[in-house]
Amino acid sequence: MHHVVLDRWGCGLSPVHRRDPRAKMLAALIFLVALATSHQSYLAVSAVYFALLVTAIFAAGLPPAAVLRRAALVLPFSLVFAAMSVASGDTTRAISLVVKSYLSALVVLVLVSTTPLPQLLGGLERTAVPRFLLLVVQFLYRYLFVISEEAQHMRAAAAAKGGSMGRVISRRRHFGAAAGAVGVLFARSYARAEAIHLAMLARGFAGHFRPLAKSSFRKLDAAFLAGAVAAIVLLRAAIEAWT
Amino acid sequence: MHIPDGFLSTPVWATLDLAVVPAVGYFARRAQGLEQSKVPLLGVMGAFVFAAQMINFPVGVGTSGHLIGAALLAYTLGPAAASVVLTAILVVQALVFQDGGTLALGANVLNMAVIGLLAGYLPYQIWGGGRWRRPAIFLGAMLSVMVSALLALSELLVSGVAMPATALRVSIGLFMIYGLLEGAITVAVLGALESMNVGFLRVPEASVSHRFKWVGLAAILLATFGALIASAYPDGIQRLTSEIGIGSHGRLRISTPLANYEAAFFQSGWLRKAAAGVAGVVVIYGVCALGGRILGRQRGK
Repeated sequence: MHHVVLDRWGCGLSPVHRRDPRAKMLAALIFLVALATSHQSYLAVSAVYFALLVTAIFAAGLPPAAVLRRAALVLPFSLVFAAMSVASGDTTRAISLVVKSYLSALVVLVLVSTTPLPQLLGGLERTAVPRFLLLVVQFLYRYLFVISEEAQHMRAAAAAKGGSMGRVISRRRHFGAAAGAVGVLFARSYARAEAIHLAMLARGFAGHFRPLAKSSFRKLDAAFLAGAVAAIVLLRAAIEAWT
Repeated sequence: MHIPDGFLSTPVWATLDLAVVPAVGYFARRAQGLEQSKVPLLGVMGAFVFAAQMINFPVGVGTSGHLIGAALLAYTLGPAAASVVLTAILVVQALVFQDGGTLALGANVLNMAVIGLLAGYLPYQIWGGGRWRRPAIFLGAMLSVMVSALLALSELLVSGVAMPATALRVSIGLFMIYGLLEGAITVAVLGALESMNVGFLRVPEASVSHRFKWVGLAAILLATFGALIASAYPDGIQRLTSEIGIGSHGRLRISTPLANYEAAFFQSGWLRKAAAGVAGVVVIYGVCALGGRILGRQRGK
């Protein structure tokens, strides 16, 4: 599955990886807002921002082609709406939809592939986001691959028993079998959650995860944040003043 | 439908991001208040929704659909917990799978994990305990999909994303099919669950104020099917509004603050723009943090 890629990218040791998650998150947020609110000369702004992101990708030692390709996951959706905008005569909007959605996906991707999700959520925990929600997100991400694998096993088992032969069994039966499979998956997930909870209690879970390395906001992080924000804001301002 | 970044206009995403904060805080508090064992359960059930989407249901000739899951979660875990799970799913989809935007997260959470979910839970809350249980499950699951899709569509339209009338009609027809399919799948899966263990489903307790819920359900049905009819006859609606004279007023009221806002921003110097942008971020953060704290304190008592 392609998630493994993201986790592998996330455990790099580049200077970008080592910055405090909060500094990176804030920089990404300001990037997103600056991009979303630029209108008149957004194309020039986007080009410069793209260059900034490519610089970040190289600084982080990420494989550029793979990262750019993965951010393109957003394009099918954008292209449909862009086509609709073109059909109703709004070509400017069509280009802006594609460019802005791609760049926004790219900046989030760069953030997530230089910051493992647990660190990212740990950084969010120091803000006002409800901790309960973050814990649920942590668990979701942790067990996503476990439960998905279970679903894959069930699908393979069903196929081995002839479940994939749509012509042989009626569509109605097939529908019922799929519903049964989802039901079984639900019951297994439920039982697994109970077992996990008991195991956590047995290990003395106190209501929050303890990160292995305590991250602290250092001068270098502040410098990174200041530099990133200055680049984002000043470049946009310069382009808008110039055009 | 997950809205990516770059689709919504700034006033729309900023407003919805702000609007969703108290709702998420409230649901998180409610879900947390029930039991300590909730955290692993909700996380694993979120993973279950992801995994369940790998199991295909045959639909027509050569096509297949899959469970979306909002209504199923609401009927088994309760609305507050289901809302937290759906919010968590949307966060993971936005961050890890590049499915849905980050600034647009507020809009997506509001569409699917708050309003869509509540619209889907309401029929079950009213009829879920009695004879009309299966139709209620079907209607609720269908509404959860259609309400969130129509909300997303209207947010895009308000943001100025143009869609030809035919494309609009086709997409609304598709949402209707997805809705019917979600209804059928949810009924079938809940049937399978009940035959395994009756305890999985929460039977809604008979509460006193049914009238309020009836009004709510009537409003949702009216809005949903009104939107469908309006999309079938867009010209008729436009003529009607212009004849009555609310059209021009309505549009004026919607567009003036945005127009002024943008004009005020773009004619000023770059330094002021930058300052205003930073101030905006700070204000948004401040309001979010304050709202969360206040809600947290109230619930904590």
